[in-house]
Amino acid sequence: MLTLLFILFAGMAVGCAVSMVAQRNPLYGAISLIGVFISLACLYVTLAAPFIAAVQVIVYAGAIMVLVVFVIMLLNVEEEERQPLRLRFLVPVAVGLAAILFAEAAFIIFFVQASPATPTRNISDVGLTSSIGAGLFTNYLLPFEITSILLLMAIVGAITLARRGGLLRPDLIVVPGAQVLARDVLDPFAPPDAPPIVAHTTEEVETQLGLEGVPHLETDE
Amino acid sequence: MGPQLSWYLALSAVLFTIGVVGVLIKRNVISMFMCIELMLNAVNLTFVAFSSFFRDVSGQLFVFIVMTVAAAEAAVGLGIIIAIFRNRESLDVDDASVLKL
Repeated sequence: MLTLLFILFAGMAVGCAVSMVAQRNPLYGAISLIGVFISLACLYVTLAAPFIAAVQVIVYAGAIMVLVVFVIMLLNVEEEERQPLRLRFLVPVAVGLAAILFAEAAFIIFFVQASPATPTRNISDVGLTSSIGAGLFTNYLLPFEITSILLLMAIVGAITLARRGGLLRPDLIVVPGAQVLARDVLDPFAPPDAPPIVAHTTEEVETQLGLEGVPHLETDE
Repeated sequence: MGPQLSWYLALSAVLFTIGVVGVLIKRNVISMFMCIELMLNAVNLTFVAFSSFFRDVSGQLFVFIVMTVAAAEAAVGLGIIIAIFRNRESLDVDDASVLKL
């Protein structure tokens, strides 16, 4: 029964992975990758690791892939067009190296004896949430805390990277209740390093710009 | 007789190799990113298989930490991808071969 399940989910995982590499559209690739994650979660269940399986579905198939799909849709990614292969002369070298690698792997598989102490599987409480939590908060407390620092750094880095440049330059001072305007917004011929205009009313802006007496648009209130 | 440990290791090796091939032949940054995620998952499968067969919980704790690193990598990596796209209007890695913006 477990063998059947292993063959089913391993086939699903390999098939989805090959499909992901073969797809030209990144969105289809992302869907295939979700298939890989789901089948790996099923394999974790057959390995008696239900907690890791649940986290796999939640974190990988949920959070990370939602982020990836979101970015794909945000950037409006197009399909890769087929381009002529550069470095074409290296193809026979690559085929030769792959053949050598396969020969080595076959040699190892066929000529190296399996070690007699092959572990046997027993049903135990290793994969349960309680044992994982106990290990995480006793022996592995330091990596756990370092992980939290890593996540904080990731948050800060992601915000810094994805933020737009901002409408206000960093040398502007924003006073609550006052208007702060970059001078080159109002006057396109102003030098770029002119000091900003700080004013509380429209009249002050006019005075600073030397525009007294310009007609205003009269509005009835 | 259930599945042996070597079966899981072989599956993990196959998945990892597919991920490496994807990173090498893909030109789109997002596709390469997803192939890296696939490689991380292949290693996770190795950890869980060893943990289950040797009845040691450490492997699953490492999987937990690898997942956290993958989440952080996804956030920062996608931020970098968005920044590259804003500067170059392209997701092709050959257009971003220079670090200078």
